[in-house]
Amino acid sequence: MNLWRGIKGSIQPFGITFRNIFRKPSTIQYPEQKRTPAPRFRARIILTRDPDGGERCVACYLCSAACPVDCISMQSAERPDGRRYATWFRINFSRCIFCGMCAEACPTLAIQMTPDYEFSKREPLTLVYEKEDLLVDHGGKDNEYNYYRHAGIGVVNPRGGNPDEAPPVDIRTNLP
Amino acid sequence: MPTLTIDNKTVTVPEGANVLEAAKRLDIVIPHFCYHEALGSVGACRLCAMKFLEGPAKGIQMACMVEAKDGMVVSTQDEGAVDLRKHVIEWLMMNHPHDCPVCDEGGECQLQDMTVAGGHGIRRYGGLKRTYNNQFLGPFVYHEMNRCIQCYRCVRTYQDYCGGTDFGVLGCNQRIYFGRFRDGPLESVFSGNIVDACPTGVFTDKTFRFHSRYWDLEEASSVCPHCSLGCATIPGARYRELQRVRGGVNKETNGFFICDRGRFGYGYANHPDRPRIPRIGDREVSWDDSLEEARGRLADIAHRHGPAAIALLGSPRASLEANYRLLTLAHHLETDRIAFEAHPERDRTARVVAALSDKNSRSLEEIRNSDFLLLVGADPLNEAPMMALAVRQAVRRGAGAALIDPRPVGLPFHAVHLPLAAGRLSEFLQAVCAGTFENFSRQERTILEGIAERLRRAQRPILIGGGDLLGAAGVRDLLRTSEKLSKEDRPCGAALILGGPNSYGAALLSGETSDFNGILDGISEGRIRALVCLESDPFTDHPDLSRSRSALAKLDLLIALDCVPTTTAEKANIFLPVKAPAESAGVYVNNEGRMLAFASVFDPGTPIRVTGGGDHPPRVFEPGTPRNPPMSAWSVLGALQNRRESLNSLRREMEGEHARLAGLASLDPETDGRRVLPGGGRFEIPEIPAIPTEEKAFDLISIQSLFGSETLSAFSPVLDPVRPVPRFLMHSADAAEIGLAAGETLRVTTDRGGFELPVALSEVMARGCLFIAHLKGSPVDLPFPGVRFAARVDRRKES
Amino acid sequence: MIDLLTVVIILVKLILILGVILTLAAYLVFAERRILGRMQLRLGPNRVGPFGLLQPLADVIKLLTKEDFLPSQADKWLFLLAPGMASITAILAFAVVPFSPPLHLFGREIPMVVCDLNVGVLYFLALSSLAVYGVALGGWASNSKYSLLGGIRGLAQLISYELSMGLSLVPVVLMARSFSLTDIVLAQSPLPFAILNPVAFLIFMISIAAESKRIPFDIPEAENELVAGYHTEYSGMRFGLFFVGEYINVIILSSMTTVFFLGGWSGPLLPPLIWFFLKMLAVSFFFIWMRGTLPRLRYDQLMHFGWKFLIPLSLLNVIATGAVLLAIR
Repeated sequence: MNLWRGIKGSIQPFGITFRNIFRKPSTIQYPEQKRTPAPRFRARIILTRDPDGGERCVACYLCSAACPVDCISMQSAERPDGRRYATWFRINFSRCIFCGMCAEACPTLAIQMTPDYEFSKREPLTLVYEKEDLLVDHGGKDNEYNYYRHAGIGVVNPRGGNPDEAPPVDIRTNLP
Repeated sequence: MPTLTIDNKTVTVPEGANVLEAAKRLDIVIPHFCYHEALGSVGACRLCAMKFLEGPAKGIQMACMVEAKDGMVVSTQDEGAVDLRKHVIEWLMMNHPHDCPVCDEGGECQLQDMTVAGGHGIRRYGGLKRTYNNQFLGPFVYHEMNRCIQCYRCVRTYQDYCGGTDFGVLGCNQRIYFGRFRDGPLESVFSGNIVDACPTGVFTDKTFRFHSRYWDLEEASSVCPHCSLGCATIPGARYRELQRVRGGVNKETNGFFICDRGRFGYGYANHPDRPRIPRIGDREVSWDDSLEEARGRLADIAHRHGPAAIALLGSPRASLEANYRLLTLAHHLETDRIAFEAHPERDRTARVVAALSDKNSRSLEEIRNSDFLLLVGADPLNEAPMMALAVRQAVRRGAGAALIDPRPVGLPFHAVHLPLAAGRLSEFLQAVCAGTFENFSRQERTILEGIAERLRRAQRPILIGGGDLLGAAGVRDLLRTSEKLSKEDRPCGAALILGGPNSYGAALLSGETSDFNGILDGISEGRIRALVCLESDPFTDHPDLSRSRSALAKLDLLIALDCVPTTTAEKANIFLPVKAPAESAGVYVNNEGRMLAFASVFDPGTPIRVTGGGDHPPRVFEPGTPRNPPMSAWSVLGALQNRRESLNSLRREMEGEHARLAGLASLDPETDGRRVLPGGGRFEIPEIPAIPTEEKAFDLISIQSLFGSETLSAFSPVLDPVRPVPRFLMHSADAAEIGLAAGETLRVTTDRGGFELPVALSEVMARGCLFIAHLKGSPVDLPFPGVRFAARVDRRKES
Repeated sequence: MIDLLTVVIILVKLILILGVILTLAAYLVFAERRILGRMQLRLGPNRVGPFGLLQPLADVIKLLTKEDFLPSQADKWLFLLAPGMASITAILAFAVVPFSPPLHLFGREIPMVVCDLNVGVLYFLALSSLAVYGVALGGWASNSKYSLLGGIRGLAQLISYELSMGLSLVPVVLMARSFSLTDIVLAQSPLPFAILNPVAFLIFMISIAAESKRIPFDIPEAENELVAGYHTEYSGMRFGLFFVGEYINVIILSSMTTVFFLGGWSGPLLPPLIWFFLKMLAVSFFFIWMRGTLPRLRYDQLMHFGWKFLIPLSLLNVIATGAVLLAIR
């Protein structure tokens, strides 16, 4: 019984592989034919802007903390209006593994992944993208969200001016 | 010692401990905000709920408010307690803004941790969030009131612990507000502690604002290098830049908090002019070349003029290891011309303390537990602020405090202040010994006899002295007084404020005859041709600047090792950059004789902020840090002696050489340090010629200022907004006699030159005294602290 | 009586055989990659030239221009010699392969074999034994752990399976009553030996699969255990010699299968030479097919199968064949 199974198991695969020769290969001839990536395909990373045109990135370092290969680095700073921003923001794409953790960690929807997977280079240094290379002038997958309109510490709206906030309290009144 | 059971685990805790502390001992972490080890518990946050099953208390209680008793059985995981905690954290989060990404506390925020621990995730409340307006609280603390969860920790820190009066809790109902009555800088010099105390981001470090995240910082246990107390700190660095300092925990010294000089004085490590490359003359060279040149020129001078033509100068701000290597360099060069302090009086003071103090030396923790404190010639808020805070804690527990000092000393606690003239402090100490106060006026006698009486009655009295004002002789008198007042069952302690973080350590290494004035004389007479300065600046730190400068100008060879751009570093023939305290590991011996180890926090190198010019760092591949980074001072000095060694082998060698340093090699920065062994020595104070006093002359005394006198913090741009302006301090009655009003310019002439500065007036100071705060880097060459002149004064003619 | 023409004819035969074999080997590589690709629903190399036909050329250029790497502490001469040993022994075996019956050209009979030895079978067995040295020396001289392990495995495997291969040829010799390959081909004129003695044919096929060190018997170079086995440290054309040697080996073993069991050049309609090549290519295809189908054996399985099953079976087969031949005589 065992011997029969052994023989059968050794002979049968020959039939399968032979049949495969006459089936249509699933290869896509890459440079000539291109596959259309899904909208959520994880490739080149961008920094988007909020609907008011401001940089969404607040340089909170969450993406660099989430990055398993440590390819994101930045320096945060404060604009005169109190807005937090990145003086420089660098992604080293020669190290990036396109895992999407950064985009998932981003609390302001600033860092997003695009389906543009064709940007290999010959020089490793040209794969180090600075902020101006990453910044785009649209909102990416969500054009509505403006983080500072929900943060609750002013900057875009006056303090207490967001829809879910009461105006600042008068601490000097004794009225209930 | 009650024994209780928490979550089926049994623990025995000291009398008076609460249940939350008992749970902490079992490593059971229960969310809590308002409880803090140094501040105690108030039961304001309602978060540490536990279910009490057996014992005096029953039901769900706040663990921090229940004293641990025998036989208690407590559950932290009880369904009701967990549910309550979950609801409380949800209430706390009800008004909390949605701004963690732009909050500097993010990552080290207790509220974040506790929210996760409490299990709250989705906001259910649909109503409006309460908002506040923020206040400007000065250059150090940033205020964001919307984040507040009303735990009261800031007020308890600022008002109760640190004694600040200009900040508190305002408003009522749902409008509780933590701030000042008006916008304005926080006045307390301990204001930075509310940053550490706040469990969320209401108070954040303004100098660190939006610099880095907690998890990106390189941190290590360190020791504050800005005064002689040796407070524990935790410096944080990123991208080769020291970015902030927060308080460390050392139960024997600072406890949990630190002063603003220790917290915000870190800028010296990133000073834009910090010399980071070895220099020969003005030429930047490699380490090998500079060391070769230094060895060669020292050998050349020893060959031509004899080994005694080389002198060495150590420093109270260099680590013990570096000073020791300087000593062995002297042996290597066969010279005995070595001193460890450019300021001879401070040198003598430290050596008196190191020789005499070990029996009755007292730590800050012992000061906190004292019941009577007599401060003599000490201005702790300016000279060693945490000393003032330690005394405050004693006073809060019911201790008495008295202050004998000619200055109008501000203190964060209530004390009797008798402004005796500086010259009479020793006289006072001798009178305390003798028990009679005949030489004092009747009014003074009443106060002094009261102080002496308290001193006799107290169980744990401590005398606190300021080294600068007392001088070596005064410190010796103070130590003898404390010995005299000690009885078998009731020792009287002493604590002295010294010049630098390692003054005691440097004094331990000093020989019998070392004196920098002697070295200066040798240089003037041409017997000494070369001077090696380790982290010291004889060009500005000598009491007689004209004397030191004219002598030092005659040197053939000046070798300087330093981490800040001092005058000596600029003028050096060979300059060797060394690591700043936060960059190197080492040991300081603090004023009490406690060896405190500090670990290296980060590697030195030009910060990325500089190499990138504010923008992104250069796009180059480069292994390691940019060329020739500074080395540890001990390894540079070792290299001059052709030694290659590890820090550990150096420490073992030191243990072998100096019996008092036993335990040095095994010293761990995480621990509370270790007292040096008693020496039982005596130190003879050489006679110093008295200053000839003239009739009608004022006693001009240079004193310390918190944010201006200490070398390292003077090189910290972070402190620039709070630097005082140079001015005279004068008794208002004296001023009235010469017709001077506050703010007017006073002209003072002494035998060492004259000054013209505005004057400030006070009534709580000694008559006939004139004080001037030493400010480093001020345009006027102000004399070094502890220097006294006879001065003639007159009003400047209005032009 | 050696005259000039004889010498010229021999030289022409040599050059023709060498050229055809090397080209065949190169294109066998290409064919294998394409066929394996199709078996795995891929296309295989199709970029260089029409249908990728210039791929072997590109590979040769690449191999020739790569750095010739000599590991430090390697045994230099043995290291340089080993790849040659691997390929030359395979090429030399072609000397005795009869491709077709003698041609009649220029009024003389030209045998379509370089040298029709009367002990051709022994010559083939001797050369295949020598091929072991290429593997063993290459593995030894590299001074690398992976190479050494690969070399040792190769040694054990080749020696084991040579036995069963030799024993499976004994019935062939018995039936043909000759050691000459031409005689063996002629002896199969009614029916090929594969049909007359299928057991010997099966043993021979399994043994030569093991001799060629190819899947499922590629234990000496098992990638996921030994990097590349005995040729781990080789690069450039030296690796290329090992590589080409393997494919020449496939061709010679296919030719030998054709000669010993499939009736050589004999066949209806088509010219004998074409028949020979068709049969040989069919066997080669089977090798590729096998590579695309079967997984690698474990080392212990390989040894057990060889010594405990294949060799006893081939011994039995020798006895049985002898008995049958004795009976029908």
